[in-house]
Amino acid sequence: MMILLVDMDAFFASVEQAHHPHLRGKPVIVCGDPGRRGVVTAASYEARPSGVRAGMRLQEARRLCPDAEYVEGDPAKYVGLSLQLLDLYTRYSPDVEPFSVDEAFVGLGPEAPTLERAAEIARAIQREIDLRFGLGASIGVGPNKLVAKMASGVEKPRGLTALDPEGFRDVFWPRDIQTMWGVGPKLAERMRSLGIKTVGDLARAPVPLLKSEFGIIGPQLRECAWGEDDTPLVPYHRGLDAKSMGHEVTLAEDCDDRASLEGTLLRLSDQVARRMRGEGYVGRTVTLKLRDHRFVTVLRQRVLPDFTAEAERIYPVTRTLLNANWNGAAVRLLGVSVSELARSGEAKQSELFASEDRSQRLREALDRVRDRLGEASVVPLGTLVHRRRLSHVPFGMPQARTPVSRKPDASLGAPAARPGRSARRGRDSGDPP
Amino acid sequence: MVPGNNVFESLSDPIDVIGAFLEGRIQPLRFRWQGRVVRVRKVTGQWSRREGQTVLRYFAVESAAGESYELCYDPRSASWILSRAWTGRSRGQGR
Repeated sequence: MMILLVDMDAFFASVEQAHHPHLRGKPVIVCGDPGRRGVVTAASYEARPSGVRAGMRLQEARRLCPDAEYVEGDPAKYVGLSLQLLDLYTRYSPDVEPFSVDEAFVGLGPEAPTLERAAEIARAIQREIDLRFGLGASIGVGPNKLVAKMASGVEKPRGLTALDPEGFRDVFWPRDIQTMWGVGPKLAERMRSLGIKTVGDLARAPVPLLKSEFGIIGPQLRECAWGEDDTPLVPYHRGLDAKSMGHEVTLAEDCDDRASLEGTLLRLSDQVARRMRGEGYVGRTVTLKLRDHRFVTVLRQRVLPDFTAEAERIYPVTRTLLNANWNGAAVRLLGVSVSELARSGEAKQSELFASEDRSQRLREALDRVRDRLGEASVVPLGTLVHRRRLSHVPFGMPQARTPVSRKPDASLGAPAARPGRSARRGRDSGDPP
Repeated sequence: MVPGNNVFESLSDPIDVIGAFLEGRIQPLRFRWQGRVVRVRKVTGQWSRREGQTVLRYFAVESAAGESYELCYDPRSASWILSRAWTGRSRGQGR
């Protein structure tokens, strides 16, 4: 089987350039509300020579690239387009595994027995993406996911790199160890201290040394350095279970007001709980992420006695963790996540003992209202107290799971409920009236 | 206005739209905004967003005058919203 990794070039920025011709050929920086502080979400290729990178503070980006066009990102738009792209890939092969919002693996079967034939299909996909969406994609082709992924980064933008194991070794063995997929800066530093400076050095390193220094991951990485990988491709219609679910938000301004922080935690807890229920999960470990104005980040977690997907149980834990770990310094970012997930059906036994029927029925009824009318139709009262400060933190599920449809316009003539004001505002994240 | 160029104005303005329904697809052709009619030269992008049970349809369009807009069609009320605009001028600055 040959595998492609399709990586959309500077996806968010390219989408804005494709949709808005006046942005084409200019440095474009996609961010949160440009009027607030925050970080760069994506930078177009025209902005990159200035040194602007995703994750950089906006203030810094403005200094490096003062003439850039700043566009407020629209996650729902990018997710919507990502689903359209997945739909496009499935017309070439049913085996499509999304890797991120802008990357996907495509497994090719007997129709592509050789690297050359797989590269032809990759070229056809590139052409169709350009034709239909006006977007560029770089594609890596290889006999497994590792080679395809690493090959996709060899030539950008609009690159196409097809490598067999021998080609992989020719291209990557001379390269720095950190180009290896799965080797981050810290691991690379440790490897360099052992004299492993290139991918080739890793491929030739003694297995016992790697095992003693890095544990089980050491020999695995050595195999990867030979271009070997047997990770299966999991088509998205079969799906893998999530390991955790969470949301975080950079606050509009540094905040040392306890009530505002607690209001934000309630809204984040509500988001996480809604998403867990929407996808059929319950979880036990609640984690609070707290970053202060000096960028000092604290992660603290607590394990619940049983599984839950209720904001009413997640929120008090986050509040307790905040009170126990917050030193009063102005807070820049807050995050809430729940891990140790199980399918809600499987965890039912323990949940049954803990939950009261009445509150469960109420929660289900409220979920049905929000499913039908949108996230802002019913919200926890505590999140409204500081609505002005929280206006940029979405309610509930930020993006409901949208099934991929082969006929995206088929439902145009459907439902006929009256729009509420929140619907007229056009965004679920807007405060309700 | 922030330093740098904040190119888009985020809006939520109800607008009247003349559109075409072609082969099961909807296509905005022209719309009235702030007392003037904007003729759509090209639909440059389309996507959708779910709000409860409703699928809102979004369109990025380029006007004949070279301006950029994003429109949203709400099938619940068969109504349209102008959600973003780039006209090269600030709001309220008449022509």
